[in-house]
Amino acid sequence: MEEYPEELRTPPVSLVALFGYSELQASITKHLHSQQPPINALAFPDLSHISLLLAHDDQISRASSFRDPLSVSDSSPTVPSRCGGILKRDWLLKHRTKVPALVAAFFPSHHIFGDPTQWLQVCSDLDSLKSVIRPKNIKLVVVVVQSSPQEELSEDRLVALRKRAELDSKYVLFFNSSIDSELSVSLSRIASAFAELALAYYKEEGRRIKSRVERRSSNSPDLNVRYCFKVAVYAEFRRDWGEALKFYEDAYHSLHEMIGTSTRLPAIQRLVEIKTIAEQLHFKISTLLLHGGKLIEAVTWFHQHKASYEKVVGSTEFIFLHWDWMSRQFLVFAELLETSSATVQSFSSLNQETADISLTEFEFYPAYYFQLAAHYLKDKKCALELLLSMSETAQEIDSCSESITPSLYVGQFAQLCETREEKGESLTLHSITDEEYTRFTISEAKRFQDSYEIIAWLKRSYDSFTNLKARRMAALCAFEVAREYFDLADLNNAKFFFNIAASLFRQEGWVTLLWEVLGYLRECSRNLGALKDFVELSLEMVTLPVTSYDDSGNLRNKNYGPGGPATFSRRESIHREIFTLVCPEAELLSSTGGSGFNLATDSPLHLEIDLVSPLRPVLLASVAFHEQIIKPHAMCSITLSLLSHLPIPVEIDHLEVQFNQSTCNFVIRNSQRPLWASSSNTVESGSQVENEPSLVLVPNNWLRLTYAINSEQSGKLECLSVLAKLGPLFTISSRAESPAAMEDLSLWKHENRVESLPTKDPVLAVFGQKATQVDEPEPQVDVSLGASGPALVGEDFTMPIVVTSKGHAVYNGELKINLVDVGGGGLFSPRETEPFSLESHHVEICGIDGAEGNDESESETGNIKKIQQSFGLVSVPDLKEGESWTCKLEIKWHRPKPVMLFVSLGYLPHGSEANTQKVHIHKSLQIEGKMPLLISNRFMLPYRRDHLLLNRIKPAPDSEDMSSLPLNEKSVLVVSAKNCSEIALKLVSMSIKFDDEQGETSCLIQQGGDSPSSANLAPGEEFKKVFTVIPTTRTSKLGLGSVHLKWRREGGNITEACVSTKHKLPEVNVEASPLVMSLNCPPYAILGEPFTCAVRICNQTQLLQEAKFAMADAQSFVLSGSHSNTVSVLPKSEHVLSYKLVPLTCGEQQLPKITLTSVRYSAEFQPSAVASSVFVFPSAPHAEKANSAAK
Amino acid sequence: MANTACFIIVGRNDIPIYEAEVGSAAKREDAAQLHQFILHAALDVVQDLAWTTSAMFLKSVDRFNDLVVSVYVTAGHTRLMLLHDSRNEDGIKSFFQEVHELYIKILLNPLYLPGSRITSTHFDTKVRALARKYL
Repeated sequence: MEEYPEELRTPPVSLVALFGYSELQASITKHLHSQQPPINALAFPDLSHISLLLAHDDQISRASSFRDPLSVSDSSPTVPSRCGGILKRDWLLKHRTKVPALVAAFFPSHHIFGDPTQWLQVCSDLDSLKSVIRPKNIKLVVVVVQSSPQEELSEDRLVALRKRAELDSKYVLFFNSSIDSELSVSLSRIASAFAELALAYYKEEGRRIKSRVERRSSNSPDLNVRYCFKVAVYAEFRRDWGEALKFYEDAYHSLHEMIGTSTRLPAIQRLVEIKTIAEQLHFKISTLLLHGGKLIEAVTWFHQHKASYEKVVGSTEFIFLHWDWMSRQFLVFAELLETSSATVQSFSSLNQETADISLTEFEFYPAYYFQLAAHYLKDKKCALELLLSMSETAQEIDSCSESITPSLYVGQFAQLCETREEKGESLTLHSITDEEYTRFTISEAKRFQDSYEIIAWLKRSYDSFTNLKARRMAALCAFEVAREYFDLADLNNAKFFFNIAASLFRQEGWVTLLWEVLGYLRECSRNLGALKDFVELSLEMVTLPVTSYDDSGNLRNKNYGPGGPATFSRRESIHREIFTLVCPEAELLSSTGGSGFNLATDSPLHLEIDLVSPLRPVLLASVAFHEQIIKPHAMCSITLSLLSHLPIPVEIDHLEVQFNQSTCNFVIRNSQRPLWASSSNTVESGSQVENEPSLVLVPNNWLRLTYAINSEQSGKLECLSVLAKLGPLFTISSRAESPAAMEDLSLWKHENRVESLPTKDPVLAVFGQKATQVDEPEPQVDVSLGASGPALVGEDFTMPIVVTSKGHAVYNGELKINLVDVGGGGLFSPRETEPFSLESHHVEICGIDGAEGNDESESETGNIKKIQQSFGLVSVPDLKEGESWTCKLEIKWHRPKPVMLFVSLGYLPHGSEANTQKVHIHKSLQIEGKMPLLISNRFMLPYRRDHLLLNRIKPAPDSEDMSSLPLNEKSVLVVSAKNCSEIALKLVSMSIKFDDEQGETSCLIQQGGDSPSSANLAPGEEFKKVFTVIPTTRTSKLGLGSVHLKWRREGGNITEACVSTKHKLPEVNVEASPLVMSLNCPPYAILGEPFTCAVRICNQTQLLQEAKFAMADAQSFVLSGSHSNTVSVLPKSEHVLSYKLVPLTCGEQQLPKITLTSVRYSAEFQPSAVASSVFVFPSAPHAEKANSAAK
Repeated sequence: MANTACFIIVGRNDIPIYEAEVGSAAKREDAAQLHQFILHAALDVVQDLAWTTSAMFLKSVDRFNDLVVSVYVTAGHTRLMLLHDSRNEDGIKSFFQEVHELYIKILLNPLYLPGSRITSTHFDTKVRALARKYL
């Protein structure tokens, strides 16, 4: 785009000329510039310079009209003599910089209104000015510069001035610069007048030329194009873009019609002229479209432009001119697109609109055009090179083309000749023949470095495609860039860009493309002398899944890159080339150098293949251990499987298998091959060596080798890599892979081939691992846990742990102790929040009582002793063989719970040597934690006294263990403790203690009876103790404290502390009873003898109590007395119901049941069944009699 | 029949599974080696365009000079791509549809692993016959 003249690239700006008052011109020019649209101004100090304004132009045009032989020599009468070309080269520039639209003459006011001589001078100046500008239709403005606003003006002179200047009154302006406010007013007045007149000028000029177009005054298409162009330019001056576009298009179309018809110039030059002008017109049209935001129209226009000139090749011999031109079209459009602000929002919608040529998304990006510009330039380069190679007269061309320059018309060239005439020296332009012209263009073209241009454009294209995330487009550009660099022999840059393309093709598996790129890369490294790269690239090419046997490859009719056709035979030949290079046979050593490398015998070549390397198909090593865990020193089988996709079988000299334990490394030697003296540094001299009759890698066939190895060191044994040695200098090291985790080769997995497993054993092929675990040596130390029965909750349970050496000495021993809940879920549960489980652990290790007997050694070793609630760590002193050591572990249970105790001992068997490994012994024991005693309690009310307790309106039939107690009555509390363990226990004491002060004041508890406070309890035995309770305060919740029980294991040490167990008594309800029913009845009865039974109803309230009673008949008694009635009991008094009863049956008999209903409380109650029974003797007991008789 | 036509089937994982040069003659040999490169680059356009329409035949998606890339996307996102210089859109559409049927027949073969290279000579012959018929 920069090669176009500036006046073509920017929109035209109106031009005015200022005469006189040079001191004002600067401010006026500046003001005009800042206008919208701006106006350019030519400034002349005074009117004497007027001749400069237009004279030059006339002179030149006149000279050209006489001297230009193009027009003169043309014999055709239809072509007007002035038409030597289509467009004049400097016409546009002239109108933008030389020919003003109007002339402004500045006169001081005193010249006009003062002295008549000065007035005459003004008049003559005006006349001369008019004579110059009138033929050109240039407008005139007269500006009268006033020195002060109060200056007197003579109306007569003003009129005379207007008449003289032939001006309308509004174009005679007054300019006052003395006051700032006036100045700005004057400036804006001038600017608006100028803009108006300039517009009028360009409009008139445009109309004048347009009328010529419309009249078709000349049949010459040349002139038609020129006029259209001029009209469009004038329209541009007026900023009438629509008309400008229309006339540019008209010009373009009429120009296109000229292609076949014009005969003015020799053939080649004629086409060049037309194309050059078409290019300029196209540029103008595209610019206008893009600035108008019509992106789609612009792109479509470009395609039309391209389509209409694509076939206009001209002379096929000089086709490079056409390619050059095409390339320029694309480049210029790309640059225009890049600078234009128009953007496309949605491409899918665009495609539907343009039905004729559907545009693709990328055609809206400059990158597309840069790419194609480069493509055409490449065509041009090729055509030019071909032409130059054919022409023998290259030197001749250089000699005679010096004086050819662009001629007066756009797109034409002429020879500049020095002619000596009478007047002196002058330069004349002569037309040239096509031959001269082509020589000139060839010599010009030779000066340009097309390759750099191509690279620069492709790089721009590459960058913008990369930014658009179009990686494949970018890869194509990168490939083109790289090819161009390759042609320039700039190999490092070429390699860089080839690698970009190769990585994408590799990733996407486009084998043919990858082959092509690798072929170039291989050539690069060959020329750079990078042997390792060369070998790697060759091997990668060789292992590509190219299986075509066709000589022409997958693509027929193809110009191959340096890699040659992608065929199987080509793969084979590259393979042979590489292997003769890297592992020459002895007899071939002398004759290397065919590929440009001399492999020095002292430079070994080593290739590393890892999991992501593209060379993985060269050597794929899968290693599987047959067992997942092996014993130390025991033999273990390992299967080594190698796969290669090289097209020809390869023989390996020897293989080295490397492990993470370097002592296990071993070598497999091909016994057919000579033993190479060079030993590797990875395998120690004394290591295992296996011999194989042959080690040949056949394409696509696993080479399976199985060996036995042993490892002495415990821990992980992993195969790291397999190193294949081919010849004395070439080694390939491939990372070992587990068959279970092996990924397919990305390029080969879609090929049709026989899939085979790396190992014969299918299980191993699917689950085999390249690593195995070597066990620790057998421990020769015994750890015993001496448990003595189940543990009891609350006691400190001791657990002796004995470490006995039985063959190994123990050094740096460490005992780890762990308590684990058997049921899982940990040793504590946050849900249970009983008081004594606040410490959260139900089972905890209280302490480890270490070392009976070797106290001194313990202090020496700096005993480690870390104890947590479920974890302990104790260091074990060093033990010699046969020695033992004991410690005691104390564990406390807070709850009955089975627990698993894990003890592990880790020690060094051979002192503190650095490389030995610790030996571990693990022991575990389940211990049951049990409840020793089951404590229960119950309450008993006074015998045969029933209280109406309102809380229990419906008393249960046998309710001795009531939780409600009557106030101020003596109730009985029985506490029993039952031994529920399997161990005999000794109960030391049992007592009730209040938990708080309040309990002591509100309740009275006495130890009832004289039962022994201590007792021996066999398993299952129960101990009972009676307490009397008298509540003294009426409360709904009376805390009775808790039972404290002290016990220890029977037979244990007396000095041993007793274990204290607490049992909380339930809370009871204390209330005063309004009615008490007591039953008076003899302790026994005799069959047939009547006895009296009295029921007392005692009212303990201050109120009259009405009580209903009902007596139920009983079968065993005959009853006399009222069965049912209602009685009223006075306050604080009692009512007695007495009955006479005759028992009819012997034995324990239930008395007739009486039910009392308190009307006031509508509550009914009965005496309990136990209390209302009596024993009936068949006759009067004799014991007493006997007793009395004895007395 | 078109002068230049390069036909490629690209599997859903962007790997070419079938490729054939089906043009009657290569007029400009220098450009011929670019055919696969151009088709590969056109995948960038296809991957955007394929989701904007429900039609299988995407018509011409990319243009390199006078060479046009037409694409047909199957439901399984296998792309049939043709680089051609002819303007016979109906013929290309019919060609794609018939090749699609052939491809489906290949897929029905229980021994054919979807996504792997098509090496059937029968398929190759049929495709070339279709190219002669329609392009």
